[in-house]
Amino acid sequence: MRLLPAPLGLPVLPREVRSAFAAGARRLRGDWAEDEWGYDPEFARLVQPGLDVLYDRWWRVRAQGLEHVPPTGRVLIVANHAGVLPWDASMMATAIRREVGREPRFLVLDWAFELPWAGSAIRAFGGVPASPHNARRLLDQDHAVMVFPEGAKGVGKPWGERYRLERFGRGGFVELSLRTQAPIVPCGVVGSEEIYPKLGELPVVARLFRAPYIPITPTFPWLGPLGLVPLPSKWRIAFGAPIAPPGPPEAATDRALVLEHADRIRERIQAMVHENLIQRAGAFV
Amino acid sequence: MAASRILITGVANPLGAALADRLAGAPGVDRVIGLDTREPPGDLARRITHVCADVRSPDLGSVLRAAAVDTVVHNDIVQFPEPDRAARQMHDVNVIGTLQLLAAIAALPGLRTLVVRGSAAIYGSEPNAPAFFTEDLARRAPLTTRFQRDVGELEGMFETFARRHADVTCTMLRLQPVVGLPGSPITRLFTAPLVLTPLGFDARVQVIHVDDVVGALAAAVDRPVRGPVNIAADGVVSLQRMLRRLRRPSLPVAGPLLRPVSALLRRAAGGPALPEDIERYLRHGRGVDTTRMHRELGFDPVLTTEEAIMRVAHDTRGAGAEAGRR
Repeated sequence: MRLLPAPLGLPVLPREVRSAFAAGARRLRGDWAEDEWGYDPEFARLVQPGLDVLYDRWWRVRAQGLEHVPPTGRVLIVANHAGVLPWDASMMATAIRREVGREPRFLVLDWAFELPWAGSAIRAFGGVPASPHNARRLLDQDHAVMVFPEGAKGVGKPWGERYRLERFGRGGFVELSLRTQAPIVPCGVVGSEEIYPKLGELPVVARLFRAPYIPITPTFPWLGPLGLVPLPSKWRIAFGAPIAPPGPPEAATDRALVLEHADRIRERIQAMVHENLIQRAGAFV
Repeated sequence: MAASRILITGVANPLGAALADRLAGAPGVDRVIGLDTREPPGDLARRITHVCADVRSPDLGSVLRAAAVDTVVHNDIVQFPEPDRAARQMHDVNVIGTLQLLAAIAALPGLRTLVVRGSAAIYGSEPNAPAFFTEDLARRAPLTTRFQRDVGELEGMFETFARRHADVTCTMLRLQPVVGLPGSPITRLFTAPLVLTPLGFDARVQVIHVDDVVGALAAAVDRPVRGPVNIAADGVVSLQRMLRRLRRPSLPVAGPLLRPVSALLRRAAGGPALPEDIERYLRHGRGVDTTRMHRELGFDPVLTTEEAIMRVAHDTRGAGAEAGRR
C-alpha cells in the first residue's frame, strides 16, 4: 500500500526531489529501521547534510588523529565538553562518521530526555541517557561510545574558565573501560568554548524548567531564538592514541587505581586542548 | 522435576484459565486447583478442581492443606482495572490478597515452588532510566503511581517470604505490558481507531504477547528460579513507528492534557480511563534486559515485540470492532 499516489507527475521532477518524496513516504509508512536503543540510521543520514555545513563552512573543523579510532570493536572516546549546547558531540560524531565510517553512540545528560522532541531526536541520532548501565551494554555490543566526564559542569562553564577542564566526575568511565576491557581514545576539542560565550546565568528560570542552567550570552536571551545561532569559531578536534585499560576487569573495584587513571586521562586531554589552542592561533579567523 | 499439585489463583482470568488448561493433564501434573470467585470459562471447570473462593478467604489455609498443594502460582494480580473489578479494588486484591495468600501458604508443609505474576512497572517509566533494566535495578526511581506502589508492596512481601522460606523456590515474574489480553490498556491502544499520544515524545516500548505470558508461567512452574525474572518479548520498538506501520491514526496531545482528553474520549466511547502508569509508559517507555529469562528460566518467547503488536492489531481489527462497542 502506498500513501503517495505514484502518478503525481513524479517522472518530470528531478531525481533528488523524487527521492526526498520517497523518503518522506517511507517515514509516513513507518518503514524504517531502528535498533533496540531507538537509533535510526536513516534519521542520522537525513540530518547529516546540515551538520556537514556546520562542520565544513561554519566552524571549518580540522580533525586529526582519526586513525586512532578503530573501525570496529568496542572503544570509549573520552572528550572535553564545552559550549553551553553540546554541539561538540555532533561534530565529533560527524568526524568519526566521515573519516572512520563508524556510527558512534554517545551518552547524553538525562535532562535532555525530559524535553519534548529533543529527547526522541537525540535518541534517533545515537544518544542514550547517561547511565553506566547503558554505557556498559553499548560497549558489550562493541559500539564506539563517546563520553564527556565533565558533564553539565563542562558545558556550563563561564567564559573566563574556557579550556580549563573540570573534574572528571567519579572516574566512572575508567571503571567502564576496565569492566569491558575497552580502550580509551582521548579527544581534545577546541572551538566549542567560543560558540556561546557564557557571561552569566539565570538560576531562577533554570529552576523553573528544572534545567541544569540557562545561560546569558552576548546574544541570548536578548535576540530570542536568534540568540541560539552559535558563533562561527574555528574548531580543531584531535584524537589521541588509544590507552589500554590499566588492569583486568577485577581492577574496576580499585578506587585508587580508577581515580589515578582518570586523572591521567584528564591531564592528557588538557594537554591536547592546549596544543590545539596554540596551533589554531585565532579563535574566529 | 515436574510439579504435581498446583494451585492457580485467579483461574477465571484469561491468563489463569490458559495456564490451567495447559497444565491440567500435562505429564507429571497430578491435580490443578483453581481459586476464583468467578466461574472458569468453558469446560475447564470440569478438568480442574475449582474452589470458589477469593485469595482473601479466611479458610484458604485449610483448603490448601487438605489438597496437599506443592506449587502455588499467584496469578490473581490485577494489572489494570477489569470490567468487573474497579480501580479501587485493585489495591485490595493485589496487596491484601497477596498478604493473605502468603500467610496461608506459609504453613503448608509440602510447598516447593511459588510463582508470582508481577510487573515490570516496579522499574517505572522515567526519562533518565537505563535503556534496559536488569533485575537488580528495581526501585531505582521513586514509585510514583498507585499501581507501582502496589507492586512495590507486593515485591516487598515476596522478598520477605522468600527469605523466611529458603526451602521454597520463589520466582517473581516481572511482566512488561501484555498485548492480546482483552481489555488491557495496551491492547486497547493498538486496536483503538484513534490513538492519543503525548506530543513530542516517542516512547521505546517493549511488550509481551498473552500466549507467551502463559508460556512463561508454565516455564516457571516447570523450572522455577529464585528471585525476580523479567518477562518480555525480544526487541524494543518506537511507538510512533509502530503506529505508522499499523496505519493507525494518532493524535498528539500536549503533555498535561493527555489524561483529561483521553478520559473524555473514553467516557464518550464507554471504556475505562488511561491508567497513570500507561500514560507514563507512552511518554517515556521502558525496556528490560531478558538475559535471565532466556538463560536461567530457559524460556524464549515465540513472538518478538513487533510481531506481537502486529498480530494483536490485525487480529482485532475486524472482530474487535463489535466487541469494542459493547
